[in-house]
Amino acid sequence: MKILVVDDSKAMRAIVKRALSSLDRVAGATIIEAADGKEGFDQVKAESPDLVLSDWNMPEMTGIEMLQALNEAGITPTFGFVTSESTPEMHELAKAHGARFLVSKPFTPDSLDQALSGAI
Amino acid sequence: MEPTALDLERIGADIWAAMLGIELVAKHDGASHDPDDRVVTGLVQITGAWEGAVSVQLTERLAITAAASMFALEPDEVTEEEVTDTVGELANMTGGNVKSMLEGELQLSLPSVTSGRQYTLSLPGAHQTARVAMETDGEVVLLTILKRDTV
Repeated sequence: MKILVVDDSKAMRAIVKRALSSLDRVAGATIIEAADGKEGFDQVKAESPDLVLSDWNMPEMTGIEMLQALNEAGITPTFGFVTSESTPEMHELAKAHGARFLVSKPFTPDSLDQALSGAI
Repeated sequence: MEPTALDLERIGADIWAAMLGIELVAKHDGASHDPDDRVVTGLVQITGAWEGAVSVQLTERLAITAAASMFALEPDEVTEEEVTDTVGELANMTGGNVKSMLEGELQLSLPSVTSGRQYTLSLPGAHQTARVAMETDGEVVLLTILKRDTV
């Protein structure tokens, strides 16, 4: 399994990667990174990850814009948001564009695992 | 709902515990930073139906400790860029959680980070609506919500 972690914060990418590496559900997965939505879009096209975990608010291209661009390009990896903002409107928007889950920051490995359980 | 100091306290404690493994305890004695300390400020702005900013302020010493925890490094291995990234992300998470409590169409800015000694944080046309001082291991973390008066 290949997982792409997209976040403009290197610190948050490190935390998401550390949380993933503690989960049996994704044991042995290769984890790759991108620092914004545009880079994430390019990485999805180049690397074909099975799962994308993306922040929402990023420079260049936001997470939801990246998801829209992937949909328009006909590329549909399993996609979930890991974001500090979590309103009902964002949940609806994410779901409407095909995101499988939205994990709110701060999160724990358990809450991430629970979100992943319904998606992969 | 307008977030209160108590909400800010809960948000701060949750973020620091989950993301850094650091316990923050609220101080109700007006604790602040020593004027000689170098203080790092992370700030995000919220615009739309509610306008203002949310800031996180901590000493450079604690910012280095926080960055070391985030990156799983020793404190003396942490770079300035990693400290800035960490404080920016702490502000982003705090501001994002505050935004989630507010109503209406809102946008959260990307974080900005600054550091120095003896400076004052102000947002033109805004006043402070909530402020909490929290402590870990003798180090103070200040969390503040500033609201613009024009909206």
